[in-house]
Amino acid sequence: MLNIQKIRSQKQSIIALGSHIPILQSILDFDYLAGKEGPSVIAIIASGRKNVRLFWGEKDVLIPVYPTLAHLPASVKNEITLFLNLTSGRRVLSSTVELLDSLPNLLGGALFAENVPEKHSIEIFNKIKPGSRIKSGMTSGQFIVGPASVGLMIPGHLKLGAIAGTDAEQLMDSHVFEPGSVAVFSSSGGMTGELIRLVTTVQKRISFSLSFGGDRFPILTPVEAFLAAEHDPQTKHIVYFGELGGYDEYELVDLIKQKKVTKPIITYIGGTISAMFEKPPQFGHAKAMASRGEETAQAKTKALKSVGVKAAQSFEEFIDFVKKIKIKDNIPLPDGNPHVKRALRLLEGGLKNDLPYEGSTERSEGRDVQKVLSKMQQRTHALFMNSISQDKDGSVEIVGEEMLSMATKRSFGHIVGSMLLGRQLKSKDTAEFIELIMKLLVDHGPYVSGAINTMIAARAGKDLVSSLASGLLTIGPRFGGAINQAAQHWLEGVAESIDPDEYVERSAKQNKRISGIGHRKYRVDTPDPRVNVILTFAKKLNKSPYTLFAKSIEAVTTAKKANLILNVDGAIAAVLLDVLSQKEKISPEELQELINIEFFNALFVLSRSVGFTAHYLDQRRKDEGLFRLSPKEVGFAE
Amino acid sequence: MARVKLTEYKAKQLLYHALGKKYLGTPATPEGYQMPHNGPFVLKVDQGIKGRMKKGLVELEIQKDKLPDALMRLSKKGYSQFIIEPMVKHDPSQERYLSLERTREGIVVRYAKVGGIDIESMKDRVEEVILNSKFEYRNPKQAPNSNDQITQKISEELAVPINFMHQLLNFFERQYISFLEINPLVVKQNTSPLRGTPLRKRRIKSPLTRGVDFDVESKDGVFILDLAVEVDSTAEFFTKTWTSADIVEDSVKSPEELAIKKLNDQSQAALSFTLLNSEGLLWVLLSGGGASITIADEAYNMGFGKELANYGEYSGNPNDDETYEYTCNLIDSMMKSSRRRLMLIIGGGVANFTDIGKTFKGVIKALEKNKKRLKKKEIKIFVRRGGPNQKNGLKLMEKWLRENDMYGIVAGPELPLHEIMKLAINSSKKHA
Repeated sequence: MLNIQKIRSQKQSIIALGSHIPILQSILDFDYLAGKEGPSVIAIIASGRKNVRLFWGEKDVLIPVYPTLAHLPASVKNEITLFLNLTSGRRVLSSTVELLDSLPNLLGGALFAENVPEKHSIEIFNKIKPGSRIKSGMTSGQFIVGPASVGLMIPGHLKLGAIAGTDAEQLMDSHVFEPGSVAVFSSSGGMTGELIRLVTTVQKRISFSLSFGGDRFPILTPVEAFLAAEHDPQTKHIVYFGELGGYDEYELVDLIKQKKVTKPIITYIGGTISAMFEKPPQFGHAKAMASRGEETAQAKTKALKSVGVKAAQSFEEFIDFVKKIKIKDNIPLPDGNPHVKRALRLLEGGLKNDLPYEGSTERSEGRDVQKVLSKMQQRTHALFMNSISQDKDGSVEIVGEEMLSMATKRSFGHIVGSMLLGRQLKSKDTAEFIELIMKLLVDHGPYVSGAINTMIAARAGKDLVSSLASGLLTIGPRFGGAINQAAQHWLEGVAESIDPDEYVERSAKQNKRISGIGHRKYRVDTPDPRVNVILTFAKKLNKSPYTLFAKSIEAVTTAKKANLILNVDGAIAAVLLDVLSQKEKISPEELQELINIEFFNALFVLSRSVGFTAHYLDQRRKDEGLFRLSPKEVGFAE
Repeated sequence: MARVKLTEYKAKQLLYHALGKKYLGTPATPEGYQMPHNGPFVLKVDQGIKGRMKKGLVELEIQKDKLPDALMRLSKKGYSQFIIEPMVKHDPSQERYLSLERTREGIVVRYAKVGGIDIESMKDRVEEVILNSKFEYRNPKQAPNSNDQITQKISEELAVPINFMHQLLNFFERQYISFLEINPLVVKQNTSPLRGTPLRKRRIKSPLTRGVDFDVESKDGVFILDLAVEVDSTAEFFTKTWTSADIVEDSVKSPEELAIKKLNDQSQAALSFTLLNSEGLLWVLLSGGGASITIADEAYNMGFGKELANYGEYSGNPNDDETYEYTCNLIDSMMKSSRRRLMLIIGGGVANFTDIGKTFKGVIKALEKNKKRLKKKEIKIFVRRGGPNQKNGLKLMEKWLRENDMYGIVAGPELPLHEIMKLAINSSKKHA
């Protein structure tokens, strides 16, 4: 059951399914103009990218995008209280069911799509009705508006959908930041916007507003909306635009008779024109068709009048009723507003008193609002977004710290680690470990592929950057680029809590090498001294599941062959995973993200650049001339 | 969108298939048909019309050689789609009524031991029960639930096999049907209503049917004489068994109405257009389901309902090409009128996400293309609209209308919605 006061009393966080930029942007504009601290949309489910760029006021903001619900981090899942389903009519059922089953703290949501089969709407209705089984269930106060709905709006607090408009000026004109006491409903999204504007133009304000959508079986029924208004302490009046077709108004009549709805209602039931048609026509909405006498606008108006509803005979009378709503907090009309002036002249004198159309130029809120609005209208997106560094107060700031203070106070390990993570490190241990890795990886002799390529380029007379690039371009799956892949193995293994024997067996069956295992030179009896230094670091940690898993894999592989030991890449990957999760509190999902963007290989690239540069300078000093192999050194295969 | 009627031919084809029967009917048009059997036949108009028998749109017991004449007779009444079926002779006492309707509470089943053309006058004999919505028939070995008891009772009352009920309900669910009515349902023998009892495989020879071979198609003695099926048009994607081509076209449409229907079928947005009175004074180009009704209502409420030439609306943010096409077709319709000084109302509420600048760009382009014709007919145009990018859209519209001397008024949300129709009507009174 929709419980407005409950939604109003807590902060709401929205997940959007599918991306509809104008709607999402309008929600952020609403949040910004309402003076919220941040966007209410906290996640988007869509394919193809990791973020959607929107505006927060005049500035850019990135809203994280996840390919599926399964990719949502647990913390985000728990935070979400509302959903906005923007997928197509075909996908509404499956995506909504998935949402309901996977988000633990949902209060409800809105379905935007048109063309949802009525059978699917009923299925969703049955899924959330009290007493039905939901896996991880919505709590009490649950609701779903739609399908084909522009959503739900609570002034100054929540905009869940396109409701009240998608440009900032429109939101301003509809006064949706100032809470009031009139609830507004309609099946029609357009009429919901129209009524919000009407109510606010005649100096009242909205308590909440929603559109059921024009389908035959809206999931949140008109009756439920009336009951929600009845129970909402802020709502004093209800303004409803109904249409011909269906029997909702008769249910309302029953509720009024039973005194379950007692607040004053003003309504207009559209569709008197239907009497002009020979056969009952289908109007714009699926529901808007009167096949039986009781479904006509005239019959419904009569029934509502009989129980004391102010059911208007014409739209003009309806407006009159709305104007006459008695509320203490009437907001005075601004003097000299050209809109109002023009409207009055038109209504009083007809066309001969017409003024040219001006558009809105002045608002009651005064100059500041106008300034904000014109800034918002002129905003443009930045070309790039970054979180590493920026100019601030005449100096450079790196991950939030003034550069000179950083250079003098911080270790090199801290600076590298912070910059690579895109935020300040939390622990000195992390800084220390990163510095250790940087030192250990700086060079491993002139015999390795990257160093050789650097030297060859140097001897060919190439400059520093070209020679260094030649070495760096050698880094890949077989040389230096194994740390990332090893991290992937350890992360997977721990996540699955798989038996090491089984893991090795599975890799063998798939004919896959395990990165981070095996060395050309070192064996069980002659271990790599660097590996020992790295593993010793793990002892500083309370827990080291990744290191333990890597060691257990080594125990299995060395039993098969003596040189299948944990190598430097594997050891760095394991200990670094443990350090990041223990000391930096990085979740497994975020670690996976770091692997995906090659964070783990970055350390090798940085450190080994020192080695390659040294080999370049060394070759240039010696200057032996162009290097060439002899036919003896390159065989010919028949 | 919404509930639409399948042709009886398509509906029967699908239902017979679901029941494991062969359907022997064939569709026909005034141009011709394929004749499957020797007759005698029934010829019926297949355009979703209720009460065909009373309206004289059914021809009974026609022999093969008389078919062309019968077809001609019905065509002359203005119909173009027909269905030819083998004649099933029966006694009125064998007629039953059965209908299913999808509601929020479940599937409402209405049935009666009587049926036929007078069912409306025997409403008190129609029983009504609700099957809760999760009823799709599973493994018959599962324990029976309340739905099973209800279907059991219906099958006993109507003397149809329980399997028939199950197959019918599954058909209803799988084909996303909203409403299904069999009237009459003819039951010629008492069959065992027990579930799982194999049907007797013998040829039924009723003296009334003269033993023609189509009777074989109802081993269970159940005949579906007239069938009306409404499906949910949004479900076409999920069933893939019927398409928009199988949906009944209820009335003769003008070329412009057809063009806009085609435009709608190809668009993400919704566009509709119905001609009410081609000689009407008030022409409307409206947007939004609710706002369009409000503006049209105003004409009716002011006593100008008969002057309303058309009704229609566009919504869901169509692009400017679509509003251009839509407007061109509307203008073509207007130009067919013999009257001059027509009023065109371009109206809508405060849109939520439809771009007013973009949609009006298409409208203005169409006005520009038809400028000469519009001027010749002395058209006056009245505009009221709000929404995203409204300032831009309304300014462009005002400029064009003033320059071309068709300006009635251009207003934003400062003008109450219904007033645009009022202004147009009042202005026409002065002209007249």
